[in-house]
Amino acid sequence: MKKTYDVVIIGAGHNGLTAAAMLARSGRSVAVLDRRATAGGMIGGGDASLAHLIYNLSGSEIGALGLRDRLSKVDTVSLSATGDHVIVGDGGVTFADGRAHPETAEYRALVARLTKFAGLLAPLAEAPPPAFEGGMLSRSGMRELLRLGRLGLGLKFMGKADMREFLRILLSNAYDVLRDELDDGPLSGALAADAVRGSFSGPRSPGSVFSLMYRLGQGGQVYTASNGMDEVAEAYAKRATDAGAAVILNLGVQRIVVENDQVTGVVADDGTQIAARTVLSGAGPLSTATMAGIANFDAETVRRARNHRCKGTTAKVNFRLGGMPTVAGLGANHLRHRLVVAPTPDYVERSFNPAKYGEIPDHPTLEAVVTGPESAPLLSVNASHVPADLRGGWTKAARTKLSKTVLQTLAAHGVGGLEGAKSVLVASPADIQTDFGAPGGHWHHGEMGLDQILTLRPIIGMSRYRAGPDGLYLCGASAHPGGDITGAPGRNAAAQVIKDGVA
Amino acid sequence: MAKKQTPFAVPMGLIPTPVQDRLESLSRAKSWTNWAGYISAGTLDTVEFEYFAIRNQCTLFDVSPMHKYRITGPDAEAVMNRMMTRNVAKLKPGRVAYTMWCDEEGMLIDDGTLFRFGPDDFRLCCQEPMFSWLHDLAYGFDVSIIDESHAVAGFALQGPTSYSLLSDAGLAQAGALKPFDLAEVEPGLWISRTGFTGDLGYELWVDWDKAGALWDRLWDQRGHWGLRAIGFEALNIARIEAGFVAAGFDFQPSQHAQRLGRGRSPIELGFSWLVDFEKGHFNGRRALIAHRDGGARYHHVRLDVGGFKPADGALLYHRKRKEIGHVTSGVWSPTAKRNIALAELRAPYGGKVKDNIWAEIYVNQEGQWDKRLVPVRIETAPFFRNDRARATPPRAF
Repeated sequence: MKKTYDVVIIGAGHNGLTAAAMLARSGRSVAVLDRRATAGGMIGGGDASLAHLIYNLSGSEIGALGLRDRLSKVDTVSLSATGDHVIVGDGGVTFADGRAHPETAEYRALVARLTKFAGLLAPLAEAPPPAFEGGMLSRSGMRELLRLGRLGLGLKFMGKADMREFLRILLSNAYDVLRDELDDGPLSGALAADAVRGSFSGPRSPGSVFSLMYRLGQGGQVYTASNGMDEVAEAYAKRATDAGAAVILNLGVQRIVVENDQVTGVVADDGTQIAARTVLSGAGPLSTATMAGIANFDAETVRRARNHRCKGTTAKVNFRLGGMPTVAGLGANHLRHRLVVAPTPDYVERSFNPAKYGEIPDHPTLEAVVTGPESAPLLSVNASHVPADLRGGWTKAARTKLSKTVLQTLAAHGVGGLEGAKSVLVASPADIQTDFGAPGGHWHHGEMGLDQILTLRPIIGMSRYRAGPDGLYLCGASAHPGGDITGAPGRNAAAQVIKDGVA
Repeated sequence: MAKKQTPFAVPMGLIPTPVQDRLESLSRAKSWTNWAGYISAGTLDTVEFEYFAIRNQCTLFDVSPMHKYRITGPDAEAVMNRMMTRNVAKLKPGRVAYTMWCDEEGMLIDDGTLFRFGPDDFRLCCQEPMFSWLHDLAYGFDVSIIDESHAVAGFALQGPTSYSLLSDAGLAQAGALKPFDLAEVEPGLWISRTGFTGDLGYELWVDWDKAGALWDRLWDQRGHWGLRAIGFEALNIARIEAGFVAAGFDFQPSQHAQRLGRGRSPIELGFSWLVDFEKGHFNGRRALIAHRDGGARYHHVRLDVGGFKPADGALLYHRKRKEIGHVTSGVWSPTAKRNIALAELRAPYGGKVKDNIWAEIYVNQEGQWDKRLVPVRIETAPFFRNDRARATPPRAF
């Protein structure tokens, strides 16, 4: 490890690694520091991997990471307690027994429309949020204007009916939009669950249509990694190191050094000083400001960072099974696809209620994936609406209760073969905050609410990735456009650094 | 079982200060105003009597309604430095500083006086409520913030005979105080040589429940020294003469302004000397640097106005045609015998362009309105200045 770099990046999550690759390729010397023993952040780590699916990664990124033949598209199986599981995939919408779903046409039309709308918003995610620095008539101002103009034109070219529909539903709640088109059931339930996965909100919360569109930003396909998520993490790390960045593990950053309102480096956990004129932080706004010294930030910024909405609500619960599970009424060929427990939109909304009061829902909304060898597969589960601030705290009993609730809920929806399930991971949002530094342990490093997207993400004054003193940037999912495995915040942050011409 | 609630009466209306009973009995005008929720005198007798007492005798003004905050603890200096545009590290214990503080856009939140009792002990006196703002600034720092507004009373004793009166009241120690000095002259009684008149004067600070006795002690010496109790109106004339800006008049406190663009920076108000860019980060520093480098949008200036009709609120024109600003405080100055004003001009007027500026003054003469366009001249010095204000020890009058 050298003592001086052009850029130090805090956190070897996939966004930090994406920024590292881009900045290293631009000719800068880059070091990525991470407290953890493995690179990839929430991706990878074997049995303890948090991420188990890839929802939102663009095709070009998949290619650039060399993952094109390593990812397989999976269907979504929305489980039903009565055995009428619904399978959504390339083959259309069917019941598990092969019958066509009566709402196939409505479902397709709805998703096609939402995907079209999402495509309209997607260009906004691919660059820093709009701003008119230097005035609207400056060169950069004109560029911004053109970009927004394209959004406007795209809206206009959709035709009057679609434009009206887009504007009507954009700020509304997923529940109403889904129930306008679809009946109550596992099909609408699965979409309702997708709309709020990772959020402190239910499908009836305003803004959940926007988060559903965000999820559909790349077309809505869901992938698993054929050789496990570790390979995805390695691909990110390899891309950074191949570009010349140093990825330094087992070494966190305790402090960002600021002199005369300019970042001059970091102090690592072991006291090592590393000089750098540019520091990118994958942490949230408040922990970044704390590392750099609160005194270097205006009080308004600190107040907003303290009020950053980032209540994590997704717990990760992994089990090692004695053999492949079964699902009553579902063919064995579908066991390694995405299994969802969200039998109705109402179920999803109700599963959110206990979280508001610091309780674990008795009937949580789940998303499960089975990976690994058939003899001893890993059952990997995202449990939605599990509060970070659990009443009574995250005691051993609470963890046991959560894994029991998850198993009972799966069993109630037809999943068998769970008798010998051995719990290998119970990560509450509180644990995720401690272990990964994600603000609030939140999936998206901060709620994707309408008050925290675009120029408001993560907080007013930090939306252009710049944070306080010169040379300090945010590059994690708390920044625009937000969470999921996209690499977009890291890429945009790196682009901003290059544009600013620093280091 | 639910605990029985103790009945608690929320006070209705304005709150009396500790000397309201004294003021009530002195008041001929019965002119009361609302100052930060407290009853405060507009005038007690007539504004002329009270004004001339400020300049020729001495006057007592009850400043107890002022917001007062005590900031103590190991990080008190750091928090005050984070707040203020001035370098608070240079303020020594036993000294007071006139100071300004800004929001993140470099716009003035308020101005006030900062008292330093000890290395870790400050009091901030100001017009606007600052309790939650102080807490915003204090996050991450080891300080305690107490709202002393209702615990500490204050009287401004101002005018040429103010020291003589103090002396007769047994407080001659105050004579050693230089301007902006602060000392505890008796247990629990602090005197600072500060004020809002630009003249010799002191402010006395004491516990709320001791304030009545202190008032009587001063009042008992009044005869020989011409002491008068005054209200805000007379003081306002004196402060315009001294060239002091007032919140809500000459600038709009940025946290209360509802409309965009109403904020003004200390630089625009002519207080660049109060901004220390070299001391490290403080609130609004980055915005103020951009502001300084980008050039001021406004210039706040002192004006000598033609004629004798007060120009308060008058619009200002360049070459009698182009509207370029307005008067923020205007009054006939009885001491300077001039028609004076503080005004805000849109740059470059008041900066590069200083000539050919006119004020449009409306005059109502018994129901008949008349419009007068009078020439104005930009002044740099305050309209009232007297070396007795700075002489230490103060001379006897």
